[in-house]
Amino acid sequence: MKANNLIYAPALKQEFRCRVPLRDARQLFLVNGTVQGGGAPLALRLEEGEQLDKMLQIIGIRSAEGPRELSFSESFHFGPRSAGRIILCAHTFSLDRFKTVERVLIELEEEARAQFVVMQNEHNQADHETFYDISLAGGASLDMVFLSLHGGVIRNHIDARLCGEGASCSLSGLYLTDGEQRMDYDILLTHQVPHCHSNQVFKGILDNNGVAHFDGLIKVVPDAQKTEAYQANHNLLVSPTARAYTRPQLEIYADDVKCSHGATIGRLNPDELFYMRTRGIPVAEARLLQQVAFTNEVVEKISSPELRERMQVLVEKRLRGEFSRCQNCSKNCC
Amino acid sequence: MKTLLQIENLHASVGEKEILRGINLEIKAGEVHAIMGPNGSGKSTLSAVLAGRDTFTVTEGSVTYDGRDLLALSPEERSWAGIFLGFQYPVEIPGVSNVNFMKAAVNEQRKQRGLEPLTAAQFLKLMREKMAYVEMDSSFSGRGVNVGFSGGEKKRNEIFQMAMLEPRLAILDETDSGLDVDALRIVASGVNKLKHADNAFIVITHYQRLLDYIVPDVIHVLYKGRIIKTAGKELALEIEKKGYDWLIHESE
Repeated sequence: MKANNLIYAPALKQEFRCRVPLRDARQLFLVNGTVQGGGAPLALRLEEGEQLDKMLQIIGIRSAEGPRELSFSESFHFGPRSAGRIILCAHTFSLDRFKTVERVLIELEEEARAQFVVMQNEHNQADHETFYDISLAGGASLDMVFLSLHGGVIRNHIDARLCGEGASCSLSGLYLTDGEQRMDYDILLTHQVPHCHSNQVFKGILDNNGVAHFDGLIKVVPDAQKTEAYQANHNLLVSPTARAYTRPQLEIYADDVKCSHGATIGRLNPDELFYMRTRGIPVAEARLLQQVAFTNEVVEKISSPELRERMQVLVEKRLRGEFSRCQNCSKNCC
Repeated sequence: MKTLLQIENLHASVGEKEILRGINLEIKAGEVHAIMGPNGSGKSTLSAVLAGRDTFTVTEGSVTYDGRDLLALSPEERSWAGIFLGFQYPVEIPGVSNVNFMKAAVNEQRKQRGLEPLTAAQFLKLMREKMAYVEMDSSFSGRGVNVGFSGGEKKRNEIFQMAMLEPRLAILDETDSGLDVDALRIVASGVNKLKHADNAFIVITHYQRLLDYIVPDVIHVLYKGRIIKTAGKELALEIEKKGYDWLIHESE
């Protein structure tokens, strides 16, 4: 499928329509794993030098018409020197007990540039596991931001490989759990060749009995000299029973590299809280300000100002305990 | 004149350790009280207890503010009632900008008084006006609260916040520490501009220097959790010359 000739939801139901679509985006609906109106899985292919003028927003929906258990895959192929911005949204349309296994293939050829924002906003009965298979050729750059806002079980497995010199990969993520939700990130980032750069920032806020697992491994193969690789994982526990597990790991087989990793699990800073309260900010609001501040580092990585602002609103609403609804589509978010 | 704050036999501890051991103090509207005393005498504890810090436990005594039991109020309720604490070590809040912080604070105060929140334009105007009080550059408003501020900038930010909130009782905990002469003058003139017949200040300091700029009506000397001497402003000069030893001897 050619990118600028997308099937644009011809048989769209009223309820799927967006109220306030992003100005700078085309939309495409993926209903129970197939492109709405087309019936086939999504395979996007950008030709050499092709530039997507607008963001492509792919709204993935699980609805009662589909099976309870479903697996499907999508692929994104960026030809040499092509560029594009993709938003991948995952939603549930009914409160059924869904189990979804999704495979997302992202392949960047020489000097391709891609930005992805993954937004996961499903209900508490949904169990969604996604395998991201990512490869970057020489000089390619990928900037990917994950926002796991809501969902019973969300598991993201990311296998990213830097296969050509000068490739650069930035992965950022925010996960917010409450109730009995569980969110996992399992990341393997491999530097297979010299002179590549990677950066990872993953942050989570865990409330109630929410649980998060972060398991991140940076692997630098023997000849991948001059590698720069950084990884940070920070978790904020805002209830006494929330839990976070983190396992940052480095496996370095080259000797001339700059690598670092760091992980923390902490609570809201009581000094900040007291300071804000002495200025008259009520304790609940002060806690919210602190949490929003904690999320900023990730949300600010979204380069489109319009999308970033919407995500900021969504994150704040989520932290206020409202099930996130953005203005984009009439059901849930964007 | 009306009594704003009445402290009677106040005792406070942290863990097993008693730090305040029977403080008595009365402050009337329109007054400036200075509290001096050697390190570890309980000055900062007193200010923290008045602001509602929960690391200290009040074990005895009472604090009445404007006819209310102050100790029964949460820190934010004290702020709504008009209490302000200028911190000795202002806290850095990364990720929360000064402007958002102040907007949340000012609008909450307004809400508590049954007023509409300020519009963005009104708020920015107020902010500019008050920043001028302490000669603060407008570039500070977009930065994280106190993040990367120098010691002097942090103290100016405290006075700026005080100007925004217009408290009835401001407690300034060693606002002069770490300030050079220029910053001291700016901070003091900010305080003087805010002083009027209906509010009061408690100025905690180690040095007589600040009291050249903010002239107190009364000076109290705190030692081992008790006020051992109360006198007029000339006491500061005497302490500057002779230290605290003679006062400690006198009290023992």
